[in-house]
Amino acid sequence: MQDIKSLEPKVVIQCEGLCKDFGSFRAVDNVDLCIRKGEIFGFLGPNGAGKTTTVRMLTTMERPSSGKVWIDGYDTDTQYLLARRNLGIIQQQNSLDKDISVRENIMHHALMQGMSLKDAREEMKGLCATMELTDRMDDLVENLSGGWKKRVSIVCSMIHHPDVLFLDEPTTGLDTQSRNLLWKMIRALNRQGTTIFLTTHYIYEAEALCDRIGMIDHGRIIAGGTPQELIDMFGRVVMIRTDDYDDQTVTFFPDRKTAMAAAGEYAGGFNTVIRKATLEDVYLRLTGGMS
Amino acid sequence: MYNIIGEAGRVAYGDLCFLRRHLLETIISSMVGPLLYLIAFAYGMRSGDTEAGVSYVAYAIPGIVAMSSMTAGFTSTAQKIMIQRLFHSSFDEMVLCPMHTSSIVLGKSVIGMLKGLMGSMILLVLGLFLTPDLMMSPQLVLCVIFSCLMFSMLGVSAGLLARSSATLNVFNSLVILPMTFLCGTIFSVSALPSIVGDIVWLLPLTHSSEVIRAAALGWDTPWVSLLVMLVYFAFFYAMDWWIIRRKLY
Repeated sequence: MQDIKSLEPKVVIQCEGLCKDFGSFRAVDNVDLCIRKGEIFGFLGPNGAGKTTTVRMLTTMERPSSGKVWIDGYDTDTQYLLARRNLGIIQQQNSLDKDISVRENIMHHALMQGMSLKDAREEMKGLCATMELTDRMDDLVENLSGGWKKRVSIVCSMIHHPDVLFLDEPTTGLDTQSRNLLWKMIRALNRQGTTIFLTTHYIYEAEALCDRIGMIDHGRIIAGGTPQELIDMFGRVVMIRTDDYDDQTVTFFPDRKTAMAAAGEYAGGFNTVIRKATLEDVYLRLTGGMS
Repeated sequence: MYNIIGEAGRVAYGDLCFLRRHLLETIISSMVGPLLYLIAFAYGMRSGDTEAGVSYVAYAIPGIVAMSSMTAGFTSTAQKIMIQRLFHSSFDEMVLCPMHTSSIVLGKSVIGMLKGLMGSMILLVLGLFLTPDLMMSPQLVLCVIFSCLMFSMLGVSAGLLARSSATLNVFNSLVILPMTFLCGTIFSVSALPSIVGDIVWLLPLTHSSEVIRAAALGWDTPWVSLLVMLVYFAFFYAMDWWIIRRKLY
């Protein structure tokens, strides 16, 4: 077992050999992660890849079948209460008590985080003003739309100023306005020093927000690095050839010159496009969505 | 030693907000069942009878109070946790907060205890006007609170384990409903065939009825029953604690 003191002080999320089995099905397979303070880390993968299960284990909501997790240096197995003090999470599904009001939900979260009534009221006022929730405080949560519920979830997860915020597919089902507001909020929180762990299956979201990205498929980490490092992984240029049946073949090249030379060698009958590689090209290649 | 009561209060806050919003509905719903039992059995079927040396009304009311403490305590806690866990996902959020497992167990039992207590106390107060044999005492109130809390803790386990409302209904039909009728609530366990009586003696509601009845009628405290209730209380608490730690961390 690794000694906590030997961990790099700036590492706030770390896991080693993380596995989760559901019966004979292995949902997460030997995942290692190391995320430093102040990063926005994107965890990108298709549906069912193991993103949410990984987040649930990192946030102490699910016990790993094997492997270790440290949050801010605290072992989540033996020091889970200390680890939880530094955590906030916005889950994929809104996890609010729908039978009580917005104000009561936020206050309940604040109290459970150990805040005093006075501090909770002050924080609630500021955060709700930022999220434009002030006029909806006495509404029952069940009467709110998805976007408004997400805003309440954000306030709940942020009220105790966590050092690490996990966002599990936060923009799924949101309209453009709500998504932009959330992105703005994520960037603002990150500027204040909050480390963000963002899971998503939207490549544009990972590209727009994240300093580093880890790609996961079938429970395994298949690639990791900055967006540019990932784009450069197989070559900076792609040649896309489309046949008469609209089937596409994508080939990576180190530069445009090599790609042009290769295009000249092919016989006709194909519509050929040469352009810069994108994160989506890399993602599709890695996850098997590309021929 | 951490402040378990303070933390439990923080856990219970959300449920208490819900209870405050639905106070009238809660009181009405927790009273209707026990009142119907009282009318049907004490005034309909065995009107004018005596049992164990007191009027049947005085005998039945403490049993119905025990029954009410079980049904209200168990059902409201189990349903609330199941809904929060399966449909609202808010139980996960709570587990994520830096709260001790004991505080979660106790905090989530509060709503069931309060609902059971409300129905039981209304029924007992009504009983004071119906028969002179009943007497209200702090000991009786404590017994009712203890009974409500014990069954509420059983509700925590059921709510944590239920995979759907159908699972909870099965548990209700197989465990709660038989206890309602057989555990010395409206007739003495000694009237049952001996083998059934032996099985029923092992069930918690039998002892809850005994303890509440003794306190309500001024009889000697049945220490064995009180001890059995304590054992059940410890067992239900340990089961809740283990499920939360095992299943969810």
